Order: sequence, then structure tokens, then C-alpha cells
Amino acid sequence: MSFLGRGSAPAGGINQERVEMATQELDMITDIFNRIVSSCHAKCISTRYAEGDLNKGESVCIDRCVAKFFEVNKKVGEKMQAVGAAAGSAGPGGFSL
Amino acid sequence: MDFSAMSPAEQAHMNRIIERKQMQDFMRMYSSLVERCFNSCCNDFTSKALSSKEVHFYPPNLRDRSVLTKPIAPPPQEQCVLNCTDKFLKHSERVGARFAEHNAEMMGANMNK
Repeated sequence: MSFLGRGSAPAGGINQERVEMATQELDMITDIFNRIVSSCHAKCISTRYAEGDLNKGESVCIDRCVAKFFEVNKKVGEKMQAVGAAAGSAGPGGFSL
Repeated sequence: MDFSAMSPAEQAHMNRIIERKQMQDFMRMYSSLVERCFNSCCNDFTSKALSSKEVHFYPPNLRDRSVLTKPIAPPPQEQCVLNCTDKFLKHSERVGARFAEHNAEMMGANMNK
């Protein structure tokens, strides 16, 4: 999932493969960030908008929301890898990450 | 994301890409924010003006404790929109800060696998 220096490239040139991978990683991270902003806003911030500042409760909620999101991200990733490994050992043809 | 392994040409290329994506992201955020605040705040169409509802706040007379249980009127539409925008931007900033902390952790864990 992380970017590893890969592919042979001319010393001053542009290796399309590396740029492509870096772009994909950037897209993925941006997507996760936008989802977190959207989800945590829905969960933590009331829509009354009585004031323009975050109150203490909302701030704490946001911190915890982001932490939980990453936890869930990790758990789901582990589970998917386990499923992928199990499918892989059962026989070829299962999808791999 | 570690760009130090890339050549200067690649880094320059990536910087241009990042700049373009940031602009796109900003435009997307702007329009979604407008929609969000409109949906939350503007529910009264008896007039075209935004601050159509005049709300008079009387100082609470706390000898009469029933004011604490009476429903409080929502803020006028314009103030609501301003608060909504402010709050979202602060929220986004805070999420960004926490995200950066956790992201560093996540990336580090992935590299070590």
C-alpha cells in the first residue's frame, strides 16, 4: 500500500510508473480524508449551528472519531488480507490485493 | 508518502499534480459546504432575503425556571450559514491535524510489514 522506490528510471527523467503509483496513493489518502471529514461531521456536530466555534464536546468527539476511523481501517485491512490469504491458499483464482 | 526517492524532475511533476488536485479538492469542498449549509439552515421560504426571520431574544428571567425548558428559537438564516461555514472549516482543520498524526503512524506500520 505504501510507496516503495521501484522501477528503473533515467537519472534526470520521469518514471511514469512511480509517478502513477504516487498519484494513486495520494488519491487514496485524499479519499480517506474526505470520508473522515464527512462522517465525523455527521456524527459529532449538531446541525443547529448556534455558534461558529467548536465546543469542547465536539472537539473531543472529533478526536475520538478520527482515532476510531483509523482503527476500523486497520481492522478491515487485516480482515481483507486474511480473507485474501485464505482464498489464495484454497486455490488460484481468488482475488489478491 | 515519501518523495525523497524521486528525481527532481519527478518531484516537480508530482508538485504540479498535487497543486492541481488541491485546487480540485478545494472547489469540491466549497460546493459541498454550500449545499450542506443551505440544507441545514434555509428552511423558510416566505421571503427571498436570507435574514428574513427576525428573532427577538429577551434576557431570561431566571426567577421563572420554565424558560430553561422552553424550546429555543434557531438562529436567523444568515447567522446560521455563517456559523455553519465557520464550524465546518474549524472541524476540517481539526480532522486534518488528527489525520496527520494517525497517518504517520499508519504509513510507518505499513513500511515495517
